[in-house]
Amino acid sequence: MATACEYLWKASMKSEGYATKADGLGAEIDITGYTPDRIRNFSIIAHIDHGKSTLADRLLETTGVITKSGKNKQVLDKLKVERERGITVKAQSASMFCEHDGRKYLVNLIDTPGHVDFSYEVSRSLAACQGTILLVDAAQGIQAQTVANFYLAFGEGLAVIPMLNKVDLPTAEPDRAALQIESAFEIDAANIVHLSAKTGLGIDRVLPSVIERIPAPSGSIDAPFKALLFDTWYDKYVGVVCLMAIKDGAVRRGDRVVSMHSGTRYEVMEVGIMHPEQRPATQLQVGQVGYVICNMKSVAEAHVGDTFHKDKFSVAPLPGFAPAKSMVFAGVFPLDAGEFDKLNESIQKLTLNDSSVAVHKETSAALGQGWRLGFLGTLHMDVFRQRLEEEYDASVLVTAPTVPYRVQYKDSTSKYIQTPADFPTAIEIQDKVDAVMEPFVLATLIFPEQYLGAMLELCTMHRGDIHTHTYLDESRVMLKCRMPTAEMVTDFYDQLKSRSQGFASFDYEDNGYNESDLVKMEVLLNGEAVDALAAVMHRDNVATVGRTMAKRLKDVIRRQLFDIIIQTAANGKIVARETVKQLRKNVTAKCYGGDISRKMKLLNKQKEGKKRMKKIGRVELPQEAFLSVMTGSKE
Amino acid sequence: MAPARTPLSLYVHWPYCSFLCRFCAFSKARVPAGGVNHALITRALLAELRTSLAPHSRDKELRSIYFGGGTPSLAQPAHVAQIIEQASRLVPLATDAEITLESNPTSAETDKMAAFKAAGITRYSIGIQTLDDGVLQRMGRLHSGAEALAAANRAASLFPGHVSLDMMFGFESQTVAQWKRELETVLAHADGHLSLYQLTVEPGTPLFRDIRAQRVKRNPDDTLALMYETAVALCRSRGLTHYEVSNYAASPESQSIHNIGYWQGRQWIGIGPSAHSRFIDPASGTCIRTVRIPDIQRWVQGCLEHGHGTAKTETVDDAEARQEAVVFGLRMLDGLSNARFMRTGCVNSGALSLAKYLCVEQVQRYVRDGYLRSSGRLDHLAPTERGLQVIDSILLDILP
Repeated sequence: MATACEYLWKASMKSEGYATKADGLGAEIDITGYTPDRIRNFSIIAHIDHGKSTLADRLLETTGVITKSGKNKQVLDKLKVERERGITVKAQSASMFCEHDGRKYLVNLIDTPGHVDFSYEVSRSLAACQGTILLVDAAQGIQAQTVANFYLAFGEGLAVIPMLNKVDLPTAEPDRAALQIESAFEIDAANIVHLSAKTGLGIDRVLPSVIERIPAPSGSIDAPFKALLFDTWYDKYVGVVCLMAIKDGAVRRGDRVVSMHSGTRYEVMEVGIMHPEQRPATQLQVGQVGYVICNMKSVAEAHVGDTFHKDKFSVAPLPGFAPAKSMVFAGVFPLDAGEFDKLNESIQKLTLNDSSVAVHKETSAALGQGWRLGFLGTLHMDVFRQRLEEEYDASVLVTAPTVPYRVQYKDSTSKYIQTPADFPTAIEIQDKVDAVMEPFVLATLIFPEQYLGAMLELCTMHRGDIHTHTYLDESRVMLKCRMPTAEMVTDFYDQLKSRSQGFASFDYEDNGYNESDLVKMEVLLNGEAVDALAAVMHRDNVATVGRTMAKRLKDVIRRQLFDIIIQTAANGKIVARETVKQLRKNVTAKCYGGDISRKMKLLNKQKEGKKRMKKIGRVELPQEAFLSVMTGSKE
Repeated sequence: MAPARTPLSLYVHWPYCSFLCRFCAFSKARVPAGGVNHALITRALLAELRTSLAPHSRDKELRSIYFGGGTPSLAQPAHVAQIIEQASRLVPLATDAEITLESNPTSAETDKMAAFKAAGITRYSIGIQTLDDGVLQRMGRLHSGAEALAAANRAASLFPGHVSLDMMFGFESQTVAQWKRELETVLAHADGHLSLYQLTVEPGTPLFRDIRAQRVKRNPDDTLALMYETAVALCRSRGLTHYEVSNYAASPESQSIHNIGYWQGRQWIGIGPSAHSRFIDPASGTCIRTVRIPDIQRWVQGCLEHGHGTAKTETVDDAEARQEAVVFGLRMLDGLSNARFMRTGCVNSGALSLAKYLCVEQVQRYVRDGYLRSSGRLDHLAPTERGLQVIDSILLDILP
């Protein structure tokens, strides 16, 4: 790996025209000649599968950052889960050198995560750019995510260059897509660039457009050093690596820098650019984007959005700093209680690189010791679980997601509820609580008009309040709807896809809190409440959800040597009751010489399966019991 | 005085059938178009018998021989005689050895019954399965219920007190009342021993495919449980003692010595395609399990070229041996004594008592709830009728 990178490095060095200086530690490149007028910082915003990563690969190839081997598939998507799902979770960046009109430019591509769960990551990436390419699939047209990301970029005051990708597909309708861009974003799509990132068509027009249409970064080399921290990751050899956009001045090895948020001082060990791997540089200066390694031990110290300055040279902080906010909480427990320590270590390692996951220890009577984790959204939660299972080989049980409810007490204190276990009882609500509030989102749905009826019904069913629906062109509708976040985290997305045969796209943004008539639904097994199965919901849903939950549990709980009574209850009243009848017979009919091995294999498999069951009293609960409460509670 | 010889069982697998039952998951093949090459199969069986029994000639005695299959009643009585004779020359036959032959109740096979007796067979087992001619036909069996009862009567006269009848319950559309009537008829013809099996749908069988494709419906679990309970009660009322999950006997003498060997951990050698063996290797003293090649041609080739058609040999370690001792011991209503458990055939790593091996807390709970019986500090452990019926669930709790 190291030699391959080195080779790439040498190959690209010739064409780029920057000086290097040997200092015994390896070549440090000198990019001090690239003043702000020779720098462009841009990102690409696109819907999933509209070809963002492929476009990035092509740009890196044409500028010689990576070789044209045909193997460059989504170079910037480093995580396995990113490639599998076709999404970018962690922002990555790459610097490119290129020539335009006889002048040399340093162009920095700042990759953004492609999903709205990561909208905070998107906004912090955007804060490091001056412009963005709005990439739209010419066959699919604009999708909900394109809209959400456009408005994020628009809000940051960035220059937006629309481009159409996949124009070579037989199903491409570039004129129609251009019309949609004009009507949705009110931007002129007359000189829109037509591309095929896959074949390379039109790629030569991309960087010239970026250089011509995106403004150079502002700032002064003479002002005191000031930089925006916009991404970090953990490297096991050097600790935390920080990606920074230098807003003023310069930084080099040996400098002492300070975090404005914490006041902590750090000594800079190395600075450089992503090319696409880390490449040390003599200095990073105003307008440039690169990495800084400064002896930071944990990503918890690196607050994205934080401003850094030199020791004793204080500056005004950059705007926009906000800590990551959890939208969804879920309990995470080891399947086997003996694996607690191993899982603990895995979660710690994983959160080293993803500081947006909020971690609290939690103890459940049903599931034992575990954690309550806060995520940016349900996709973030899925991605986290998948990474935990794939990268750390951990078997985990994830309980039903809950949203942060807010309880306002009569004594004018308030509290955020992260787990149904903490939700006040009916009596407490009556005596002490002023209001129970739930969070809302503003959802954007885009779909072909024949699904309008189905989409309106879907939103209404999920307690949604339709704001507007507008036609983007003669056949595509954009619908905006405000609904409780809790409705979105259950089965909304699956239903959206199935009711629109996959044609609807969806995105959302936070939209404050509202008072709501919420109750806690409890599940009792043989009279014993199972805390991990409790859920908070709107009073209107209690009867339906209570019945569905009891039925689903009946389907997944296996018969045992005694009757199992399943009850769902809210406000002290039983909503539904089901019985799993006692198992009457369970014995292998024939067992002779030749059957022994098979019988023993089966027995040991069953014993393994039993170990993975969670015991509530004597009742054995399979994992599916927890999943059954999580999904599709409306059916 | 010479030290007592260790009991050994011999299983002989005869692989051919004249028809293939839709529920059968055993290793078998339809009789080929040109007929079975009896001489070749017998030569192969005799070769494998010699190789496998010779190492045991010094310290074992043959407690039982069992001809299973396939349909061993299709074999020639003279060849059966040859195998019995050769076996007893290699390892002495106990004076009261049990020699069983499994059969189908077609008239052709019934006609050979006397010849099998002359060949040395002492116990005759007849696969009746059901008396319902419609079900027999649907399951692919080429005999009628009447033929089956005639075969049972003939066997009772030739092997008095040593006839076993096999029945199955739980066929599609069979009701509890129908099963009860069938069983009553069979009980009237029974001579000492019945095996009553719940129809088990095994993967890989035509029946399994029929059920998966929903061409055939499965009886609900609770109906099957009721059929089982009906059988237990009815047999008891006719003086047949339930001694294993699916086996009933009029007296201890009528019980199957050979099959009890499996449940009590006796050593056995199996010959014939796909046959299993489990014995202590006299050379190494370790417990070994072997499986013969299932394919008939290749197995024959192995026997003729190397003296055996063994496909796989593996060691049974103490943990497995102990687990098997409990799992199989508790299939019998007599249960398992701690003394027998502690000398479980294969245990080399020092004796361990039942009380130390099992999850005693769980055992005590099942005893308290009436599923298990135990005496002393687990000197003996046995299932009750109620416990036997769900023993597979219980085992998961009490095994370590």
